[in-house]
Amino acid sequence: MPCLHWRWGIFYGIMKYKQLLITFALLFLSIVQAAEESYVDQLQKEAERKSLWQQSEWLNLLHYRQPDSSLQVFESSVDDDSFFLSEKGKRDPRLELQATLTALFRGFEDDNRQPQCRFVARFHWLSKQLNIKQSNLPKVECKDYNEWRKLVQSEKVTLIFPAYHLNSPSSMFGHTLLRLDRKESEEWSDWLSFAVNFGANVDNSDNSIAYAYKGLMGGYPGQFVVMPYYKKILEYSRIERRDIWEYELDLIPEEADRLVEHLWELKEVNFDYYFFTENCSYRLLELLEVARPGVGLTAEFKVTAIPVDTVRAVERAGMIKKAEYRPSRETVLQSMIAELDQDERLILGQLIEMPELMDKGHFSKLPEEKQLFLAETAYKLLRFRQNKLVRDDNAAKKSHQLLSIINRYPTGSEQQVSRPVQPEKSHHSKQVAVKVGERDNKSYTELGFRMSFHSLEDNELGFLRGAQINIASIRFRYSEEDTLFLQQLDFADIFSLTPRTEFFDPLSWRVRGGMERVRRDGRDRLVSHISGGGGYAWNLGGDGIVYSLMTARIEAGNSFKTYVEPALGAAAGFLLHNTFGTGRVELASEKFTGGEESTRLEYEQNIVLSRDQAIRLSLKREWVPHEQFSELGLSYNLHF
Amino acid sequence: MKKVIGSVIGGVVLMTASSAAMAAAAGGPNCGWGNLLFKGSKGIPSHVVAVTTNGTSGNNTFGITSGTNGCDASGTLTYGGRDMVQVSAILDEFSEDVARGHGEALNAIAVMIGVERSDRELFADVMHENFAAIFPDENVTAKEAMVSVNELMKTNGQLSKYAV
Repeated sequence: MPCLHWRWGIFYGIMKYKQLLITFALLFLSIVQAAEESYVDQLQKEAERKSLWQQSEWLNLLHYRQPDSSLQVFESSVDDDSFFLSEKGKRDPRLELQATLTALFRGFEDDNRQPQCRFVARFHWLSKQLNIKQSNLPKVECKDYNEWRKLVQSEKVTLIFPAYHLNSPSSMFGHTLLRLDRKESEEWSDWLSFAVNFGANVDNSDNSIAYAYKGLMGGYPGQFVVMPYYKKILEYSRIERRDIWEYELDLIPEEADRLVEHLWELKEVNFDYYFFTENCSYRLLELLEVARPGVGLTAEFKVTAIPVDTVRAVERAGMIKKAEYRPSRETVLQSMIAELDQDERLILGQLIEMPELMDKGHFSKLPEEKQLFLAETAYKLLRFRQNKLVRDDNAAKKSHQLLSIINRYPTGSEQQVSRPVQPEKSHHSKQVAVKVGERDNKSYTELGFRMSFHSLEDNELGFLRGAQINIASIRFRYSEEDTLFLQQLDFADIFSLTPRTEFFDPLSWRVRGGMERVRRDGRDRLVSHISGGGGYAWNLGGDGIVYSLMTARIEAGNSFKTYVEPALGAAAGFLLHNTFGTGRVELASEKFTGGEESTRLEYEQNIVLSRDQAIRLSLKREWVPHEQFSELGLSYNLHF
Repeated sequence: MKKVIGSVIGGVVLMTASSAAMAAAAGGPNCGWGNLLFKGSKGIPSHVVAVTTNGTSGNNTFGITSGTNGCDASGTLTYGGRDMVQVSAILDEFSEDVARGHGEALNAIAVMIGVERSDRELFADVMHENFAAIFPDENVTAKEAMVSVNELMKTNGQLSKYAV
């Protein structure tokens, strides 16, 4: 210490006062800087010592995947340079962590870009792991983040599952999003909570084929979008006619905070998007993994992430506190119409054409509650019919008339819709089947596997009646004379039976494509095909659906002169739901342009043993030119 | 591998399903509620976009919508200085709730206006009694409706504190 005094003494002697001040300031700055540098060094060394970069929290925050877990190879799903602080960050979690530590102590032109403000969850996690002294950090004002947090509060997190709807293949799988709620939600309104949705950010100049193609193949970047929940209610309940399930999660405030902090980091950040794998549902699970470290939700979804399976994963992790059901406007309308008797339905049909009939004699004799109920049903039906249409002045006028009529009555109550089985309680998505049977007097054994999802005859609990969507199923058969061979490979097999009623007139349709073994030119041959059909379906009794379709098929096989031939045909069938299972009988026939014909009468009966197990009986009679024969089979199906 | 499987499956679905359900070419980035009972919006519903990829189109939002997405932005309710509820988008639901005297859209509007919980029933009743004043005909815009709501609150002793 005396040495220092001496040196200051010398300095004082030879320098003017002003110079001294400048030198002193510079010296001070360089000391501080050196101290800071060494502090960052210290932190980096400490991070290395603790192998922080290998911890799942860090890997999750940066969305790293390991294509092969035995190798130390990483790649982030985020496809956006702005998300990484190291140039090599996308593939190097270790460098990214070091770069983040360095950047935390660096000044940025705009505080909002400083990692303390921009990457809040990363910053908080590192602070905690390394005990970073706040006083050593540059002072920043996170204006954008703070404003956003004031708005987007999340004392509660709810997982939202808009359920299936017929006639829309992509919605047949369902969808998931999150909702961030205020604690006092009854004081507030769910409508004003924030929905967190991950989806493809599409290019409006593309046509519909390009949409579908790019959406499925990863051609669009995926992004998180945060918007008021009422927009989602309108989208699903009104436009898409899908019921919504709302699962309140048991996240504690600290976990919910972490989720929202991380969500902020993903603002306007591009991800890879694939419809089947790294889709909306997969990304939400990642968010929940960030919220609750160690919960391990994504591990099982290596190939497909079917939304309902991701709900099941969340349920298995014990995170669901309770489920609420929000019926779509169509569901409410259907349940109201179901309460009307034949005469009342007649009145309903007249009311939507001429609302002024409400003031006429026979109507005003009905009890007051019935009048109100009919007027409300008529209004909902009229609006339902206008759905997806351009505004129609006439319908608008009638709608307004009906509202004015509804307004004459005292306040009524909400229509109570009975709650269906929760979708996550349905049978699992994958299926294996073992079948024994006989075809044309020769016995066979068959093994089948289906990637997903649900057939018309499968256990219906938790699904929509009449909706079938199967992706990737394969069956191998071993017959007594042949060896093992491929019997059938379906890429997709979608069947949508939507019954028509006096007030609704939807189309029913099906489409299937792949390879199958069929009788052509005297023997069973493997052919490739795309088959489809369209037509109508009607309810028959409470549990039956009868349908008839015009069908078409394009088939490629060696028995044809031209290799590929189209065919036209027709199909009619009956689907019956019983307490013990579902059965279907169908008669189908088609004729190819080259003259080949085929007619089949089939009966399939599913007998449900448990949620995931069933016995399936199948009988079939086939007629082809010059021969006819039968096939029967009995199979055991297990969903998992 | 994951991507390869995705591609194969995707290709077939594309061929088979897209023509059936996605053939209605997606509309522009318009408001999407072209079917509104009340005027003030236009355009072809852009739901096809959302259906195809569960995605969003056009103006990207992260919290509050800044753009209007082709909708009439009049009568927009703000919260914390930012646009929150585009009344024109929920005018169908709101008008139905006012006519009936109850419902979630009515409640959401009350919350946005700042009506305390204890006054919401009164608010709903006042709206219900004055349906004809708020929605005199089918050509009312969201802005006109919200002006009427404000006027009604002004003239009510208990609700006047929420009026501007």
